[in-house]
Order: sequence, then C-alpha cells, then structure tokens
Amino acid sequence: MKKQRSSLKKGENIVGWAFVAPTMLIFFVLTAFPFFFSIFLSMADWKFFNGWDKLKFVGLENFVELFEDEDFWNAMKNTIIYTVTIVPLSIGISIVFAYGMNGRIFGKKVLRMLFFIPYISSMVAVGAVFRMLFREEAVVNNLLLDLNLISEPIKWAINAKLSKVPIILLSVWCSIGYQLILFTAAMQNVPNGLYEAARIDGANGLQQFIKITLPMISPTIFYLVITRTMSVLKIFGSVNVFTMNTSTKSNTSVVVDIYNTAFVKYDFGPASAMSMILFVLVMVVTAINFWGQKKWVHY
Amino acid sequence: MKIGYRQKETLIMSVKTVLFFGIGVLFLLPLLWMVSSSLKYPSEMFAKEFSWIPKSPRWENYATVWNGEVVSMARGYANSAFITVMSIVVRLIVASLGAYAFAKIDFKGKNIAFMLLLSTMMIPGEVTIIPRFMLFHKIGLYNNLWAIIVPHWFAPGAIFFLRQFYKTLPTELMEAAKIDGANHVRIFLQIMMPLTKSALASQCVLSFVACWNEYMSPLIFLVKKELYTVAQVIQWTMMEDVSRTDMMMTAATLAIVPVVIVFFMGQRYFIEGIATSGVKG
Repeated sequence: MKKQRSSLKKGENIVGWAFVAPTMLIFFVLTAFPFFFSIFLSMADWKFFNGWDKLKFVGLENFVELFEDEDFWNAMKNTIIYTVTIVPLSIGISIVFAYGMNGRIFGKKVLRMLFFIPYISSMVAVGAVFRMLFREEAVVNNLLLDLNLISEPIKWAINAKLSKVPIILLSVWCSIGYQLILFTAAMQNVPNGLYEAARIDGANGLQQFIKITLPMISPTIFYLVITRTMSVLKIFGSVNVFTMNTSTKSNTSVVVDIYNTAFVKYDFGPASAMSMILFVLVMVVTAINFWGQKKWVHY
Repeated sequence: MKIGYRQKETLIMSVKTVLFFGIGVLFLLPLLWMVSSSLKYPSEMFAKEFSWIPKSPRWENYATVWNGEVVSMARGYANSAFITVMSIVVRLIVASLGAYAFAKIDFKGKNIAFMLLLSTMMIPGEVTIIPRFMLFHKIGLYNNLWAIIVPHWFAPGAIFFLRQFYKTLPTELMEAAKIDGANHVRIFLQIMMPLTKSALASQCVLSFVACWNEYMSPLIFLVKKELYTVAQVIQWTMMEDVSRTDMMMTAATLAIVPVVIVFFMGQRYFIEGIATSGVKG
C-alpha cells in the first residue's frame, strides 16, 4: 500500500513536470539565459559583427560612459517626462469618463466600443496617423491657426519644446479604452447603498465621487499606475514612429536608444548596459508596488 | 409644473448619453481622418480647404498598397497571419498544459517553478532581446518568421490567467475520471480543457491583437522585404526614401481593419479578458 502511494506520487511528479516542460524550456532558453547573458554583455566592449575574439571585458566602464553620455541622459529625461505626463493624464481622463458613463446611460456598449478601438489598433498605424496630423502643413496646425491660438504653424517634429506633445497625446488617446474597462468594472462593484447613505446625509455628486468612488476604486487606480508606469518606461513604438527620419533628440526614449545602439550600430555592450539600467528602473517601480500597496490602498 | 423624479432621471440620462457620444465621436476623428485620407491624393490630404469626403475617392490607393511591387500589404497580411496563428495555437496549448499542472497536479518543485515564472513577468523583453538576437542569428532564425513566433509560446501571464480558471473547476470531476482509469493527459484533454473555452477565447482575442500589432521584434528580426509584417509595411511607407503619404494612410487603414473585425466578433471576450486579468497579450 505504501509503495503504491509513493509510486503514485512519483508518477504525479513526472506528469507535472512533463506538463510544464514546454514552458520551462522556453523560459530557460529565451528568458533566464538571455537575462544573465545581458548582465555579462553589459560589462563588455563588443560589436556583434566583430567575432568573439574581439570581445573585451571592461567591467563597469559602459555604465561610467553612459553617465557621461548626453544622448542617453536626454533619452532618460524624456522617458521620465513621458511617464509623469502620460500616466496621470490617461488615468485621470479614464476615471472621469468611467464615472460619467457609470450608472444609467443609453448605448453603453457602443460607447465602450468607440473608446476601445484606438487601444486595439496597431501603434504604428495610429502613430502614422498622428504624425500626419501633426505635420507642419496639416490639420492640427490649421485648426490652431483658425482658432487664433497660434500665429504661425508649429514644427511639431523638430521643435525642441513641443516635439513630445504629439507622442504624449497619442499614448494617452490609445490607452483610455483599456483603462475605461477596468475602471468601469471597479465602479460597478461599489455597493449602491454607500451612495444612497451619502445622499441621505446630503452629500452632492462631487463629494460622493471624492469620498466614496475614489477610495473604493483605489486598488484599480494603484494597479494601473504601476502597470502603466512600467509600460511607459518601455515606450518605443509611438516614439519610434515620430523619430524616424529625424535627427532630433528632444523626443527619443530609453528603449529607442537601446534599439538604435543595439540594432543600428550593433554596439551590444553599451546597449546591454542601457537595458540593465531600464531593468533596475522597472524593479524600483515593482518595489514601490509591494511597499505602497499596504500603505495607500483601501480594501 | 413640477417635473417628477422619473423625468429628471431620463433627462440626466439623455444629456449624459449625448455628451459621451459626442466625446466618443471626437475620439474617433483621427481614425476617420485616416480613412478619408486613404482615399485622397496627398495634395488633397493637406489642403487648406478641408473636406471629409474626398472629391473623387481614389480606390486605386488600396490596390497600390495591396499589390505593391517592392513591399505589398498582401504579403504583409500573409506574414502577420502566419505569425499570429502559429503563435496563438501553440501558446494556448503550452499555457493550458502549464496552467493545468500548476492548478491540479501535485508535483515536487511546483511552487518554486511557479514563482520563477511569475518573477520573469518583471523582466522587460527589451532586457533579453540582445542575447535572444544572438541566439536566433546563430541558429538560423534571423530573417525567419519563427523568430517572432517562438517567443510568443512563453506566456506566464496566460498561464496565471488560465490557472485561476482551472482552480475553480471541481476536483471531484478529476477523481471520478481517475477511478475510471483516466490519466492526466486524458483528464486534461477530454474533461478539463474543454471547460475553459471562454477563458481560452479571451486569451485568444487578446493574443491576436498583440501578435498582429507587434512592432519591435519584426523590426529587429525581419529585414528581408518579403518577410515584412503588417506593421513593417506601414513603417516602410514612412521611410525617407519611400515616403508615400498617400499610401501611408491606406496601409494604416488596412492594418486596423482585421483587429476591428475580430473585436466586433469577440467583444465579450475582450472585455472579460481585460477586466479579469488586466494583462495585455
């Protein structure tokens, strides 16, 4: 009897590992191994097409050089600017829309669909659209001129101050549909009785929103702030579409810099060092996630 | 005359409806502009006298992009479709196997393996792309569609999502089948997996959108023009030496049409997939 049970257990072990084997195999080959290899490469001076014998181990030199590299700092600064604008704007707008569309409204499903289409659309496709809309002679400038908000067309693509604006608008516009779904779901879970009690106590709409809705959906807000921050730190597609064919540095991002260093110049050492810095940044956000969840979120 | 509570409710509802439909239409203006521009001459696209309806719609723009000589959207569709189908089918099978094992099989080292997988969700793909590039280059997957497909088979997010579903399925089902002499493979294939159909549908539509729209890996791995995916075809029309503004909006429209169709067919699954997991792709 005992023997049978242990052989049964052994069987379970084999079957279990067999079931997860494909996943674990790809995990080791395409994630775990490359990750550690990246750490190694970040401390090497090496161009891909030079062959292994040309590889030189340089310790932390790549990182030291990055700290003096103006282009990288610029990309980092831009990425931070993207993060602190896109995340609050897109989340703020989504909350307001979700609140407005909460409760009884005609054609809720159709509405949700209208907002969702930009989210599922190819970033390159909508990026191309925004790039065209923001051309010097195009619609956005014409509109602003007609409204007398500007006196001459803005060169959005190369204007050092404003070249980030189209990218920010594009990223906010694309993500609202997704966040709307999560906020709508969160708001539907707020017990109606809370609002009724507040109304009896004479709370107006704004007070109800601030005192009831916001705290009740705070787990969703927190979740989205964290995940959206992580994804905007890795912003690539929308930026790449705008930086193509231009030499401006005022709107590049860290991942665009990694891409160019690695796959245009094939300078794998410095590019790996950049990706390690990106990894640390993402880890910091994750740490804030674990630590902050206890502190700020009402459950 | 006093208006009753009912009328007031209806009034608020109507105002809200009109307001949000207004915003919703404004929201779609960039895409409407795209469709309208796809049927225009470039000069008409940026004309001062703007009109939503092209004077004489240039349907031939679509023929040009679809049958392009150097880079064609027809090929782009074929490549992207191949990548998407191969990615999704294997991904769902691999993820289901993993999810079932993590939820229903008691094996040694299960928790460590699961934690390992979850922790990789924090590693940005950008961090592993360089060694991955070297590996694929070495084994002949450079300029090969499989370089895009194979990484999609690793999906810790999907495993996590499906595992939640398997956990809710009653273990009694399994026990009964076991007594009848069924092994895990049969229980999984004939009893359990069919019960996760709606979860699989959610993962399917979300993966479809992610694969179809993927941009960075094709850019890195697929350099031959005949291997270009849909996203790369658009990118190509924007390149300096090509720069076909008229084709750009046509290509963009063609890229978006399939995801919109899939979305209309599987709206429910999109919403469920996002609302329950909040994980894209």
